Amino acid sequence: MKRNGNPRWKYAITLLPFLILVLMFEVVPLLTILVNAFKPVDGHGFTLGNFAYLFSKRTYQQALLNSVVIALVSSAIGLLVAFFGAMAAASATSRMKKIFMAILDMTSNFSGVPLALAYIIMLGNVGVFVLFAKQVGFAPLASFNLYSTAGLIAAYIYFQIPLATMLLIPAFAGVRKEWKESAALMKARPWQFWAYVGIPILGPSIIGTFSVLIANSLAAYATAYALMINNYPLLAIKISGMFVGEITQQKELGSALSVILMLLMSAAILVNNRLLGRPGKES
Amino acid sequence: MSFIRFEGVNKTFGNGNHVLKGIDLELEKGNLVTLLGPSGCGKSTLLRCLAGLETVTQGRVYLDGADITDLPPQRRDIGMVFQQYSLFPNMTVGQNVAFGLRMEKAPKAEIEGRVRRILELVHLEEKIDQYPAQLSGGQQQRVALARAIVTEPKVLLLDEPLSAIDAMLRRELQVEIRRLQQRLNITTIFVTHDQDEAMVMSDVIYLMNGGLIVQHGSPIDMYTRPESKFAATFMGHYNIIPAEAFSRACGEGVDCADLAVRPEVFQMLAGPLGREGSYSLRGRVVARMPHGNIVRYTVDCDAMEIDVDVVLDGAGLFELRQEVFLSVDKGALIHL
Amino acid sequence: MKNHKAGGNIVLVLIMVYLLVPLLLTFTFSVFGNWTSMLPKNFTLRAYEDMLATPRFFPDLLRTIIISVVPVAITVLIMLLALYTVLIFFPRLEKFLQLLCMIPYAIQGVILSVSIVSLYTRVPGFLSNRIFLLVGAYCIVILPYIFQGIRNAMRSVNMPMLIEAAEMLGASKLEAFFKVIVPNIVPGISVSALLSISMLFGDWVVIRNIAGNAYENVSILLYMTMNIVSVRTATAMFTVVFLVTLLISILVFNLQSKTEGGTSREER
Repeated sequence: MKRNGNPRWKYAITLLPFLILVLMFEVVPLLTILVNAFKPVDGHGFTLGNFAYLFSKRTYQQALLNSVVIALVSSAIGLLVAFFGAMAAASATSRMKKIFMAILDMTSNFSGVPLALAYIIMLGNVGVFVLFAKQVGFAPLASFNLYSTAGLIAAYIYFQIPLATMLLIPAFAGVRKEWKESAALMKARPWQFWAYVGIPILGPSIIGTFSVLIANSLAAYATAYALMINNYPLLAIKISGMFVGEITQQKELGSALSVILMLLMSAAILVNNRLLGRPGKES
Repeated sequence: MSFIRFEGVNKTFGNGNHVLKGIDLELEKGNLVTLLGPSGCGKSTLLRCLAGLETVTQGRVYLDGADITDLPPQRRDIGMVFQQYSLFPNMTVGQNVAFGLRMEKAPKAEIEGRVRRILELVHLEEKIDQYPAQLSGGQQQRVALARAIVTEPKVLLLDEPLSAIDAMLRRELQVEIRRLQQRLNITTIFVTHDQDEAMVMSDVIYLMNGGLIVQHGSPIDMYTRPESKFAATFMGHYNIIPAEAFSRACGEGVDCADLAVRPEVFQMLAGPLGREGSYSLRGRVVARMPHGNIVRYTVDCDAMEIDVDVVLDGAGLFELRQEVFLSVDKGALIHL
Repeated sequence: MKNHKAGGNIVLVLIMVYLLVPLLLTFTFSVFGNWTSMLPKNFTLRAYEDMLATPRFFPDLLRTIIISVVPVAITVLIMLLALYTVLIFFPRLEKFLQLLCMIPYAIQGVILSVSIVSLYTRVPGFLSNRIFLLVGAYCIVILPYIFQGIRNAMRSVNMPMLIEAAEMLGASKLEAFFKVIVPNIVPGISVSALLSISMLFGDWVVIRNIAGNAYENVSILLYMTMNIVSVRTATAMFTVVFLVTLLISILVFNLQSKTEGGTSREER
């Protein structure tokens, strides 16, 4: 298939549109961010001052903390639910499984502004569930504050579950029926099979899925903004605020903050790459 | 009192497939029994009903005097080897074999000793710390075998364990399994679709077709005395000759529908030979195929195509389109 | 093994209920006038009337559809050409191509939009045209998914073999591409293409940061309606928007079953 010499280079022209697209809208913007992150606010040169400033300010520390905490908690809970969901789907009848996957498909893109709207209607200050709990006298739900860390986590969990479940279902297909049957004949109960054989085998997939969830949560913006606007320190919101909006632009600080976010996401994605060999959603 | 008993066992799957149509079967202790048959005949399903991996729609299953029909697999004390994916990939050979003993809560010291001894029996003791991925297919199945018998179950079930193994190795493993079974005197049921395999290994063969047992017996009996056209064609390379055509060719009346004749019972000669108590046929060689130590000729005799196997003993070969004479003992014909 | 299945079914039902409740509740909210007590009261389609009366609703819907489809079409074309050329002529560049297509994962959403805006807004000419920037940004957003989809499809049809067969029959590499490869991978690409469309359809971050007031999509309209106009009218829009994405999902699902399931299966 390979041709030696010059003739094949004329085919390289087909790569041009791709290269232009990627250069203009991916590589150059990315490089600009990297450069600006290390540039002092007025002038040229290299400096770590932006990062020092960010780490010294309470509001940015809080944003980093919030983003990480929300990512960890929503991903952990989403993963737990997805684990049992995928396990149940693996042994379900094909009709049930089809219905389940259809609903996962349907709700997997449901995030951002519509999700915020739905949650406001359910759990907002005069949300349906909150009012119901007040009438019935169920205190924890009656005093639930959607506009808090807990509220954000609750909303994030909603879009983490379908993503995680869809990633885990094919992993469970790799848990062979023969292993389960052998274990049963050797007097192992279902939980013993999963503890000694199933989960160890699923390990890489579970960790990989977890890291996809983390990246997903760190990057989420619309849901948080629609609920909190600028009132809640979150990395994604802070970054956006430094570039767009009524406040004066803070290009360099924003870039530095972006670098921090990118590092976190890259770490998560690298872990996933190593373990699953193929990052992100399956299409 | 039989060791294993199936009484009127019927199995219909959720999609309406009526796989087992009334199986009545009694098996003796200490035997190696083979369930033989084509794909879809129900042999694997019957095995899985004994193991408890499938529930029985109708009928009862007895093991060692007890009714186990409603017991889960964990409580049946049965060992099983599957066709593939037998071993747990995240555990070493030693850990795999020890698994059943761990579930039985055997003492640690005892487990180690028993695992080693059983691996010695299958000649794989030096692989004890390796992972299944580091072993060949044949070695994996031997470990699976060791794992299935180390807990000293009442019955050992083998569901086409050698079907995924290449031919040369398969023969070795057949012999090894048989030897092991006889040495430990463990009641074993073996499922296969390969009649050669069944013949090599079994004490008794049960031939199945369409969810029913159609014939059973010792390997030699099954081979030399098929009771139906299906059995004749499945067990060996029988010639099935319509009785009418045969009568016309050799001039004698025969009172059944078909005749089954093994290729090796014919004598094939260049000139005619009349013998007491045998039929004579005349024909022409239309095909000749070497099969290792025999040559299989296809002879066309008056609209009958008969396969004849001749041992390759240096006496020379017959040529295509050569006129030949076949002689067969009257007793060698099986009336179906 | 029987009650194992029953327990499993309960888990599935619980999850499905959890996922559907917000949707159903929001829809219910849109068709009732009052829901301050336990049950909603006053069935009315007022919210939908208000929605239809909003002059921007249908134009925005149309704009959203256009801006979701055009970048996908562009990216598919560009990606097809690039992947074909690389896989056939420059196989060693594949890893590099893959890296370029996976970077968007690390800069998704905020960072991508913000970096593009700050870079190009003061550049003269068409480069600072907001819609142009938006289309470019969207192309990058979906790049990983289109890349995966096309590459998997090319793999599963065993492209090298098909091309060899075509060449033996007298086709040039270009002809082989258009007449043999593309028709065969269309089903595989359709799944990722539709997934990308539905992803762009629901976008809010990128369009808000880059296009802001210049180009309004349904998510922006939804946000403004629920904060400024009326939550109830917003829920009516919500329902309509959801039905559109549902339609796309159904299309994806049908296509996935046709191509024997969109997820990978491994056979040993």
